[in-house]
Amino acid sequence: MPEEKKELLQALSDAVFNMEVERAADLARECVDAGIDPFEAIEKGLIDGINRAGVLFEEEEYFVPELLLCSDAMYAGLDVLRPHLPETSETQSGRVVLGVVEGDTHDIGKNLVKIMLEANGFEVIDLGRDVPPQQFVEKARETGAAFIGLSTLMTTTMARMEEVVNRLKEEQIREQYKVVVGGGPISQGFASRIGADGYAVNAVEAVKLFRRLQGA
Amino acid sequence: MESLTEKTRLLAVLKKQPADRPPVICPGGMMNAAVVEVVRQTGINLPEAHGDPELMAGLARAVRRLTGFENFGVPFCMTVEAEALGSAVDYGTLACEPKIAREAYNRAAAVNFREIEELLAAGRVRAVAGAVASLAAGDPDVPVLACLTGPISLAASLVDPGEFLKDLRRDRENAHRVLDYVTSFLERFALLLASSGAAAITVADPTATGEILGPSLFNEYALPYLRRVVAGVHRAGLPVIVHICGNVNKVKSLLPALQADALSVDAMINLTKLKGEFPEQVVMGNISTYLLQNGGAAKITGFTGKLLAGGIDIIAPACGLSTSTPLANIQAMTATVKHSLAPGGELITAQNRGIS
Repeated sequence: MPEEKKELLQALSDAVFNMEVERAADLARECVDAGIDPFEAIEKGLIDGINRAGVLFEEEEYFVPELLLCSDAMYAGLDVLRPHLPETSETQSGRVVLGVVEGDTHDIGKNLVKIMLEANGFEVIDLGRDVPPQQFVEKARETGAAFIGLSTLMTTTMARMEEVVNRLKEEQIREQYKVVVGGGPISQGFASRIGADGYAVNAVEAVKLFRRLQGA
Repeated sequence: MESLTEKTRLLAVLKKQPADRPPVICPGGMMNAAVVEVVRQTGINLPEAHGDPELMAGLARAVRRLTGFENFGVPFCMTVEAEALGSAVDYGTLACEPKIAREAYNRAAAVNFREIEELLAAGRVRAVAGAVASLAAGDPDVPVLACLTGPISLAASLVDPGEFLKDLRRDRENAHRVLDYVTSFLERFALLLASSGAAAITVADPTATGEILGPSLFNEYALPYLRRVVAGVHRAGLPVIVHICGNVNKVKSLLPALQADALSVDAMINLTKLKGEFPEQVVMGNISTYLLQNGGAAKITGFTGKLLAGGIDIIAPACGLSTSTPLANIQAMTATVKHSLAPGGELITAQNRGIS
């Protein structure tokens, strides 16, 4: 790789990692001008930056505000690069129906999971927050998703997760989906008890879990 | 020792004075016990009671009577303050608590600062104060606890929470201005609740966790504004309980600086150990709300006994109760505490009763 190109990709990765939103967009434009393959700019620049941020998040050097700003920088770069991608070139790891369960409107954790999944090639159908159980089931069926991701921050709404699992069972389609749960009060023990397929403690772990489940 | 009322016992514990046994309470706000099974027995409906002082007071009386908690706790949500400041609230249903439907602003810089007097007359602020006054006048021996939403959680209910968290880093000046504004409102709201007859104030700030903010932002934002609310409640002459959600380990060393009369933490914290590290701090908690919902009476009795044996000052649920929590489970918790005194006056705990 020519030195100049390497430096530009590194700078793009650094802009994401350092939460520099405008700089990420500017450097993405520079990549386009320099004729760098937009795929390479996304992968070795933007996604490299967000994944480095994810490592610091796991190491508890970065927290939620930092990871949100890094993701803003990543999306600012993506907005510049996307129009330069060839059409039909999207490679998908799998389709995920994702949302915050009914009664809860805290969606930051869910958004972080979405960011990290999208950065790693998953297609995310985001149902938003305060989502009734039936809506998860219907959307998963409608879109042929492989995964259903459920999030909640509140102890008061944890029980809604089990409702989603139970509805899938009632409709005899439980085996068609991998159900993944997460959020502040959720634990692996809780996930096992309600019959979910997996639990991840944060957005970075979630990507690893989705990959594992995909292989399963 | 003279026989204590529910109010004198709680106030004694909050003042670090001797009491016959720990009180068992549920402070209201995000930690309220207006669960479906309770509300159905009262003839009072939700969401109606969220906005009417007499219905709110009536429901608080029924909650205490049915559950055995030794206090009245209002309100039954944590949306009163954000609504007064301009956010749109969905009052929910019997099974679903009120929630913020739409935050009033999308950035800290966009917040329009209104007169505090105006805010104190807005939304359901007066309804909560009215409920407190009715409860205090009706049963002087029962402590009325009023619950406030903490400054970080309130600011993140007034401004889009994701954007607000980012503003903590990228727009410090406006983030501080918004926190100063909501804190000024909370100080005055606390004063109103005190003059209405509240015995103590609980401040719950679930967004101000070490896990979400990290120690640096917790120190810069959560600590000073929470301290200001605590100081404001103290100036109003009342003790204050502060509840911090999630795993507090990352910010543990900062907690005594809150100067709360009692500190309440979530279920994942070993409260006995925390008490051991900060022996001067009165601690409250922390029966897992998952256990309360699914555990069954025997397990709940056992865990409550462990907290009693561990010297926990105030026994309470660890976080917000699911509205589908069975009443019998709550009763198992409160009965264990209430029946923990042997005829001789010593505390019966799980250990000396042989329950583990």
